[in-house]
Amino acid sequence: MLPAYCPSCHSQLKVKCLKCENCQTEVTGLYDLPVLALLSSEDQQFILRFVINSGSLKEMASELKLSYPTVRNMLNEIINKIKTYEK
Amino acid sequence: MKSKDVLGLMTNPFTRIAGWQAFVSGLAIVILMGVIGTYSHASFNGVLDAHFVQHMTFVHSFSLLTIDLICLVLIMWLTGLIVSKGFRFVDILGTMTLAKAPFIIFAITGFFYKAIDPKIIAENPFVIFQSLSFIVLMILSLFIIIWNITLMYNAFKISCDVKGGKLAISFILALLVSEVVSQILIYKLI
Repeated sequence: MLPAYCPSCHSQLKVKCLKCENCQTEVTGLYDLPVLALLSSEDQQFILRFVINSGSLKEMASELKLSYPTVRNMLNEIINKIKTYEK
Repeated sequence: MKSKDVLGLMTNPFTRIAGWQAFVSGLAIVILMGVIGTYSHASFNGVLDAHFVQHMTFVHSFSLLTIDLICLVLIMWLTGLIVSKGFRFVDILGTMTLAKAPFIIFAITGFFYKAIDPKIIAENPFVIFQSLSFIVLMILSLFIIIWNITLMYNAFKISCDVKGGKLAISFILALLVSEVVSQILIYKLI
């Protein structure tokens, strides 16, 4: 998984360099990580499953063997995290 | 299943079950509780109250349980409307109904409880501490009420998605109001 936070001071990391594996070209700069990459792997997995299930919380609940309000609360938590990151 | 999982499921089954599923299961337990309570003379006269009485009928037993449940569900729902947004009524209905389940133990206890004559208690109140039946009932009642409140707390937390101080304060207030309202309604209607 792409690291999003500094292991030393826990600040948000930025992308400094991107490399083309084909021609070895390197693009250097200071790019923000996408908001989704800042989420934990569990949260990313949840979003992925949510999209695959056509955004149906009922289907998510059935797949995860959890109750509907539990899954809705998990989604609310991710929404709050995304809102914080967007600020 | 590990013992930690079992404890988690006993205190918070609502991560797995809510809505209509919880309501149907809870209602089945409440109906069973009403039937058992009628024969064991258990009276559920309040959201948090349960006593043993001399006589009990089906109508009386089910009237009390209906008032308890309606008061609890409606007041928790109204509190949820104030402190939360975007929750379903059916989740409050289902989880709160299922949260009444521990009281079935109280109803069953009625078959084994040997009541002490009130006249004897009036003469010497300390006689209750000499009755093993009473001591066991007291400990069991404490366990039932703690379990019931834990279940209701988790039901409210999961159904309304409230956290922290807001959760604690709103839940305590809602519980106290529902207890008072149920007592008033029982007094006025039954």
